[in-house]
Amino acid sequence: MITRGKKSGAADSPERRRINLTVNGQLYQLDTGKELDRVDPADTLARTLRETLGLVGTKVSCDSGACGCCTVLMEGKAILSCMTLTVECDGKSITTIEGLSDPVTRRLDPLQQAFVDHTAFQCGFCTPGIIMSAKALLQENPSPTEEEVKEGLSGNFCRCISHYQVVNAVMAASGKVR
Amino acid sequence: MAEEYRFIGKATPRKDGAEIVTGTAQFLDDIRLPGMLYAKVLRSPHAHALIKRVDKAKAEKLPGVKAVLTWEDVPDWKGGTPNATRVLDRKVRFVGDAVALVAATSERIAAEALRLIDVEYEVLPAVFDVEEALEPGAPQLYEEFPGNVVPPGAPYFGPNCLKEIVMGDVEKGFNEADVVTEGTFRYENTPNPMPPEPPGAIARWEEPNRITLWVTDQVTYRHKIYLGRVIGKEIEVRTFGNFCGSSYGSKGMSWQLQLHAALLSRATGRPVKLIFTKEEHLAAFTLRPGSRMRAKVGMTRDGTVTAVAGTWLIDTGYYSRSTQAQVAVGCGEAQIAVRCRNWNLKPTIVCTNRSVSGIVRGFGGQELKCCLIPLLSLAMQEAGVDPFEFFKKNYVKPGDGYYWRNGTWYVYRGVDYSKAMDKGAEQFRWKEKWRGWLKPTRVSGSKRTGVGVGVHGNADIGESASEAYVRLDPDGTAKLYSCLIEHGTGLPSNMVKMVAEVLQLPMDRISLIASDSLISPYEFGPAGSRGIFAIGSAVIAAAEDARRKLLDLAVPLLGTEPDHLETEDGVIFVKDHPEKRIPWEVATGPDRTCMGFGRYEADFTFANCMMSFVEVEVDMETGKTELLRVVNATDVGQVIDPPGLEGQLNGCLGSAGIDSALFEETIRDRLTGHMLNANMIDYKWRTFAELPSIENVILETPFQTHRFHAIGVGEVATAPGPTAVLMAVSNAIGVWLHSYPVTPEKILEALGKVPTGVRKGGAA
Amino acid sequence: MRSFTHINAHTVDEACSLLRRYRGRAVLNAGGTDLFSTLKGENLLEYPEAVINIKTIAGLEYIKEDRDGCKIGSLTKLSDIAGSLLVKERYRVLWEAARSVATPQIRNAATLGGNLCQDVRCWYYRYPGRIGGPIRCLRKGSGPCLAVKGDNRYHAILDGKKCFAICPSDTAVALAALDGQITIANPKGERRLAVGEFFGPLGNALNRDEMVTEIHVPEVPTFAKQTFLKFVLRKPVDFAIVSVACILSTDGAMCSDARIALGAVAPGPIRASKAEEVIKGRFIGEPTAAEAARQALAGARPLSMNAYKVEIAKTLVKRAILGVV
Repeated sequence: MITRGKKSGAADSPERRRINLTVNGQLYQLDTGKELDRVDPADTLARTLRETLGLVGTKVSCDSGACGCCTVLMEGKAILSCMTLTVECDGKSITTIEGLSDPVTRRLDPLQQAFVDHTAFQCGFCTPGIIMSAKALLQENPSPTEEEVKEGLSGNFCRCISHYQVVNAVMAASGKVR
Repeated sequence: MAEEYRFIGKATPRKDGAEIVTGTAQFLDDIRLPGMLYAKVLRSPHAHALIKRVDKAKAEKLPGVKAVLTWEDVPDWKGGTPNATRVLDRKVRFVGDAVALVAATSERIAAEALRLIDVEYEVLPAVFDVEEALEPGAPQLYEEFPGNVVPPGAPYFGPNCLKEIVMGDVEKGFNEADVVTEGTFRYENTPNPMPPEPPGAIARWEEPNRITLWVTDQVTYRHKIYLGRVIGKEIEVRTFGNFCGSSYGSKGMSWQLQLHAALLSRATGRPVKLIFTKEEHLAAFTLRPGSRMRAKVGMTRDGTVTAVAGTWLIDTGYYSRSTQAQVAVGCGEAQIAVRCRNWNLKPTIVCTNRSVSGIVRGFGGQELKCCLIPLLSLAMQEAGVDPFEFFKKNYVKPGDGYYWRNGTWYVYRGVDYSKAMDKGAEQFRWKEKWRGWLKPTRVSGSKRTGVGVGVHGNADIGESASEAYVRLDPDGTAKLYSCLIEHGTGLPSNMVKMVAEVLQLPMDRISLIASDSLISPYEFGPAGSRGIFAIGSAVIAAAEDARRKLLDLAVPLLGTEPDHLETEDGVIFVKDHPEKRIPWEVATGPDRTCMGFGRYEADFTFANCMMSFVEVEVDMETGKTELLRVVNATDVGQVIDPPGLEGQLNGCLGSAGIDSALFEETIRDRLTGHMLNANMIDYKWRTFAELPSIENVILETPFQTHRFHAIGVGEVATAPGPTAVLMAVSNAIGVWLHSYPVTPEKILEALGKVPTGVRKGGAA
Repeated sequence: MRSFTHINAHTVDEACSLLRRYRGRAVLNAGGTDLFSTLKGENLLEYPEAVINIKTIAGLEYIKEDRDGCKIGSLTKLSDIAGSLLVKERYRVLWEAARSVATPQIRNAATLGGNLCQDVRCWYYRYPGRIGGPIRCLRKGSGPCLAVKGDNRYHAILDGKKCFAICPSDTAVALAALDGQITIANPKGERRLAVGEFFGPLGNALNRDEMVTEIHVPEVPTFAKQTFLKFVLRKPVDFAIVSVACILSTDGAMCSDARIALGAVAPGPIRASKAEEVIKGRFIGEPTAAEAARQALAGARPLSMNAYKVEIAKTLVKRAILGVV
């Protein structure tokens, strides 16, 4: 059955809205608008994270959803922040690469540590996106096969070819993720 | 067998590892400066046109727009080799060429301003094919280049820059041959190295004459030099480097966009950030050169090449910056891989109405080999020669000579790579799998497997000059001053490792600092795998110099000569009486540092080598080719960092290497010149889901390079693969394929499976 | 991205009336995985004034079985379809198709409705505004089709007319073989279309003020064999060059029913009815399958560069029938 009939309330006014966005456990309240310090309705989550919140760990490469460099977790699922509107993230919980290591001790997440131990990167530009995709994969499937790791990362572009070492790192980290 | 070192040769975590995995490593777009503006570029819809009129009034009035510049607003600065390409010109020469520049308070506003600029063009006929461009009456891109021929020779390689390979007597050579083959061979898919981080720059112009530039590239200092050549010495340029989201050479072509940012900064009085979108990156930035060779080779049945003669047309796109250098190096590399006494190979560089071709890993040698090796393969086939044996026999051996890029004859004094090649063949089981030319290794239903082999090597591993400072501080730490940055090869960590080994100081007490052309000395930068040998030599010399100064200070305190002293972990001691020891601070005092300087001069007498064996499986009914297995074989003298080296060799799958034979290509409309696949869905790249198995066979036979006897090898990783794949696929299907990439339609056509009687165009 | 007005719709009615109010200057956003590449690419001649978010409409995300078969809400994510045991066991071609789309991140956001309604991928149509575009063409209202004389290696080999772009949706192919029906809502009510009728050479069947709300799939006999084959340059991320969905019911070695749909060869999924007739009632073997494959492509009229697709399509049809992957 499909919901039809009178709408439950007024359509969200396009002029001014408050977006409640939780990023790495911290709540941000962002107001929409055309001014430079506000969130334009057309702003992507990637842009808001990087420009408005200063969280530049999430990288933008193709900005069209084809390379995975901008991958973040939304409610635990890997999504492309460059293809997500900030205004559509009201009430959502986002995890970025900055949210993995311990904010106080700076201790690396076991997955991050595995990447360091296996030199699972070369230039490092695609690495945050790959780590976030791997994080989502391990949360859903804590003991993946190598095939499952490769499939899980199939949306992440790497041109230096860190793939082999990445697979080793993710396999090493699997099972160790809390 | 390699020596045992404390740090060298051991897998050590990269110094920047934690920064990279936490996202705190700073790339260009992560930088924000106070008052910074954002730049956007208006681009031409025509492949060739004159700009008759630009109406920018509406754009300038848009709130937030601070400057709009066209060709009339900029100085007559020209870049390229030779300098004929204006920073902004009245003529546009490819679809996507820069027409106007906008700086505004946000990217969105800058993009909005682009839409408000009105341009009137006089469209000119365009030319997209190298041979058509050479024909009389062809559209001319530059008055300076009659016939669209770009003058040969890179001035920075000296007056005798290698422009061709001419030696011996090719007539005699052909007469001596048992087989002679000829043909036309192309490598014209002009793939894109496509580093993930797009090109860009941040510029701050300070009146009257200073530019500060934040670059993204593997080189920092060199951009200062190149801009100086374009804009003149009156303007001081300071460059900063950051982490670079890889370059594979390509971002060495950034002068135009850097000057766009600088001119906008001058016009607005504020720093300006210009970063290409991925579409701009693909459509308006560096591609591999196009390569078309019409040549003839002679061979005797024992695999000796008796003569090579022909023409090599190189398509450089709308201008050349490095193409002459790529020709020079490519010609040198051809001699290194093919020992032949008689050559008459004449390159011509041609410009056409498309985006620029320039510096890409493989640097001319890949483009040349992708044409020459298939031609040689035809001769090998006729002569019944195994290609592995051919490459092993013909690769340069100690005592052989070659003309290198500066036109000088060098005698090779590196190692004999035969052993490494044999080990690679053994690992791959080449003897078992090779069935002869155009014969599959295995047939199973509609699937056939085939094998191929390729080789490449470069004497630029010792190219150009480098300098470094090493400063020892009283607290037992060291600083390496160099314009080096991390762009993927792990070189900064490797240089730190070398300093660590010289000083016997833990790596975490050594930092690489000051990728700043104002503070650090001359550094050509990584290129052609010169990092390990050339940069390493300068770094080692600087560390040794600093160490000597330190030990000299300890002499009066420990009462012995410097030769009898050693330092380890920040403590100086007498070798024979280690109980006589003082920490660095006692030798220096708290108010003194020891500064060492090291410099390296070019040496072209060594070459690296990588041989790639590939196995492919072709589905004969669909034409789909799967790359099953790659074995790379090399000898690096001494491994500096094992995982780093593995990564570099695995790079054979990246930066438009092997996959330029399988599915990578830049696709343009042949009539209009529009680039049709300037996005990351339609430009094809290797994913995690389809990884072939890669095995890297690495030998360590000491090179007489520096105290660690090591050389670099990463740059050559992309070049052996494409010809090996062509060979393997041809062998699998039993038909020669000479067109890159070997997509399903080409295979089906070669097998006669594509139906005829097709509708050829016509009205919709 | 260029700015627009953003509105959260809370009901289907609201979404449809907004579409009507904006008279074609508004677009719906579900997963955004196709819409934003168009908006960022600025490849169309006009840019929307408003983007209407339909994820805020409750009750459109479901996978339900009933007496007739299966009903899937249009906002159901592809990752949920790929994760559905029901779809995997009973409507396997749809499961395979949904799983094969793009990448994990995209499937986490992309919806079934969006996958069906996504725009075509002709590279002349999609040519970005910012690098000297957009390129005008018939699909955009006027201009020649540059693909005809240009690079048409990925374009249609069947049923192209005026526009030769192919339908890029994988789920459409599976649904065509499944005899799926699409429910479309508009301000006056709703209507249903067979999947095959939804697509046309110049666009889909949606009127300006309509949206897809549900997809219905009739029950498939449990013993039917379902195969989905997708030919791509790069597994799994690429759009199909050719795809085939095949549902075969057999009685012993005899084929009792066959439903074969071809994808990426035409402006919409094509039911290969001639091929179906060839194999119904016959013993399934190599010669029959080959004949069916020939019949499936009998009407093919390739352009200058895409004749190879005919060969690949024939091979896929044959292999799907034979159950050879």
